[in-house]
Amino acid sequence: MSAQFATKRLGKELEKIHNSLPPGIELVSAENFEEWQLDIRVLDNNPLYMNQTYRLKFRFGSSYPIEPPEVVFVKLPDRAIPMHPHIYSNGIICVDLLAAQGWSPVQNVESVCMSLQSMLTGNTKNERPPGDEEFVRANRLRPRDIDFYYDDNTV
Amino acid sequence: MKVNIKNWNAVATWRWDIPEDDVCGICQVDFDGTCPACKYPGDDCSLLLGKCGHNFHMHCILEWIKQESAKGQCPMCRQKFEWTEQQNETSIDTTRDQVEPLEMGTEPV
Repeated sequence: MSAQFATKRLGKELEKIHNSLPPGIELVSAENFEEWQLDIRVLDNNPLYMNQTYRLKFRFGSSYPIEPPEVVFVKLPDRAIPMHPHIYSNGIICVDLLAAQGWSPVQNVESVCMSLQSMLTGNTKNERPPGDEEFVRANRLRPRDIDFYYDDNTV
Repeated sequence: MKVNIKNWNAVATWRWDIPEDDVCGICQVDFDGTCPACKYPGDDCSLLLGKCGHNFHMHCILEWIKQESAKGQCPMCRQKFEWTEQQNETSIDTTRDQVEPLEMGTEPV
């Protein structure tokens, strides 16, 4: 597949994003077609995430959207990593949608943000994934290369 | 009065016979435009009409289907992606009868 597939598709998405984004999602930076940053907020009163804004970093390969983007939460002085049983404290997200087996090329940056938003909205557990400390200490793999074991699909 | 037409140019437009203002879910380009790999729309960059009701540029959906992780499924509904009979081959010629001229008009000379 030609590399311009990804840039053309991302160009289309950016055009749309500049026009409008759903509530609680804001574009922070998109200087190129390799890495974009967006902020997301949870819109309901979930006490775990109330009044918090979270920073997401998207990295796109040349096979996007046939292959999923790499999406992580980023820790900054004013941006924490949201507490969630599928989000490691280093920002790596373990979610089917972003893995090869759950990704679909009709997904896009906006739909991924909305899915993550609703993943937070629906969560009631003030927990990290099992083995978080060990994983954060030992992991040197990029998110795309990690073989997550989806042990609980209800959260 | 007698009018002699010395010269005329026929102009035709076309579009795929599917609902208008629809885009290919994979590349997000209008169906009447090309997939990102192609230069000319129409026969050179045809559509595959899924039996599940979801349509894509042929080049886009084939790019997806050849991925192992696609499991042969439609990216929209995850049903097995099968396309309609008239486009049973991946040859661009099979789609020729899908092009439908919509308007014919003459251009002032």
